[in-house]
Amino acid sequence: MKQNICSIADVTRMIGSGRTLLLAGDEDALRQLPKGDWIAGTIPYFISSEKGGMVSQELICATDISEAVAGVEIVNYDQNSLARVYSEGPAHGFSFIIIPATSKTHLSFALNAPNYKDFGVRPLIGWISGVHLNDLGKKTPKVFNGRTGEVLEEGALVMQATLPENKVAEIGIVNLFEQGDGDILTFTSDDFAATDVMVSGEKRSFAKYIVENKLDTKLPLVADYYGALVNISFQEVNEAEGVVKFYAPVFSGIRYKHAKVVPDYVKTFEERLCSECSIESDRVLFSCNCILNYLYSELEGKKTDPFVGPVTFGEIAYQLLNQTLVYLEISDF
Amino acid sequence: MDLPSKTHRTWQDIVTGKKTFQLKFLASKILLGRLTRSVSENPSPDNIKACVDQLYAVFEKNAKIPTVQEDITTIFG
Repeated sequence: MKQNICSIADVTRMIGSGRTLLLAGDEDALRQLPKGDWIAGTIPYFISSEKGGMVSQELICATDISEAVAGVEIVNYDQNSLARVYSEGPAHGFSFIIIPATSKTHLSFALNAPNYKDFGVRPLIGWISGVHLNDLGKKTPKVFNGRTGEVLEEGALVMQATLPENKVAEIGIVNLFEQGDGDILTFTSDDFAATDVMVSGEKRSFAKYIVENKLDTKLPLVADYYGALVNISFQEVNEAEGVVKFYAPVFSGIRYKHAKVVPDYVKTFEERLCSECSIESDRVLFSCNCILNYLYSELEGKKTDPFVGPVTFGEIAYQLLNQTLVYLEISDF
Repeated sequence: MDLPSKTHRTWQDIVTGKKTFQLKFLASKILLGRLTRSVSENPSPDNIKACVDQLYAVFEKNAKIPTVQEDITTIFG
């Protein structure tokens, strides 16, 4: 694992010595960094190997990918040009993307990425930048292009990383949520909000359905994509207006179920790693986890070894995910 | 093992849901979640061909990845 929580001075030294870095930190900290081979997104929440979950507006989470890659390019996209993100990924390598939360590009990517040309043909991993929860509505999430010094609150930054010939990149996820035993829920349009839901073929008010069935909205909706479980997290249930908002869009035709309870995130996480994953920590180049897992599972001070990294407003493993840990492995072949 | 050509019947059977496999490669699973839905809504030959093309491209371009190799073995033996 090459992810560490560093001081601004340490990151400045790393940039000065030509390291290639993926950074996460508070806006004020990131603004103090010199130009170099790095991209960054704003967020002050991290999981560290020493302290576990933590919040800091002075420290920066630095992922040093210098030894893993043969070369990098940094590309700015907007909500339209981002449709080329898979096609333009390096033929042998991976693309690392950061998008500011609530930007038009974030919303467009969330809705449209599964239909972008060449979806899945090349690895795309990354995250949605955010702010300290006390700064919601006061500051905007941003992304930083270290080479140009640009600071963007609209658009997306992608580091296109080419790997050495004998290396290969693979993206994985750890999602502790499983489909519960309740109704199958479907929606009639692709959207971040829903007024109606189809419950076993019957059209119902989704807000009323949630209230009547006492659904815990800290637990996401879960869809089964050919064995990959994909979450949609609840943002708000407004019963008066009859609207349910999500942190990622629901898609029409996909069959969702409300998730089973995860009583102890860290314990379940450890059990899942033991039972399903064959993770070798030295192969993991990057990982990040969701702010909702951090909050709902009270991860401050708790460790999720071997995974560390930023705690984000959305995770990207080919497409936008919620309440999911995503990671990038580099291995020999 | 080598990747069987796009004309191999099994590709079509996967996107139409006639055959299902427990796959490991994340991109192909997410993609198949969408493609199988697309084919169930529109089972025309043109759509099936388009879906096979997409699925095949994901396997072909990622053929060096260990889990893709495992999935190819799972599917084609």
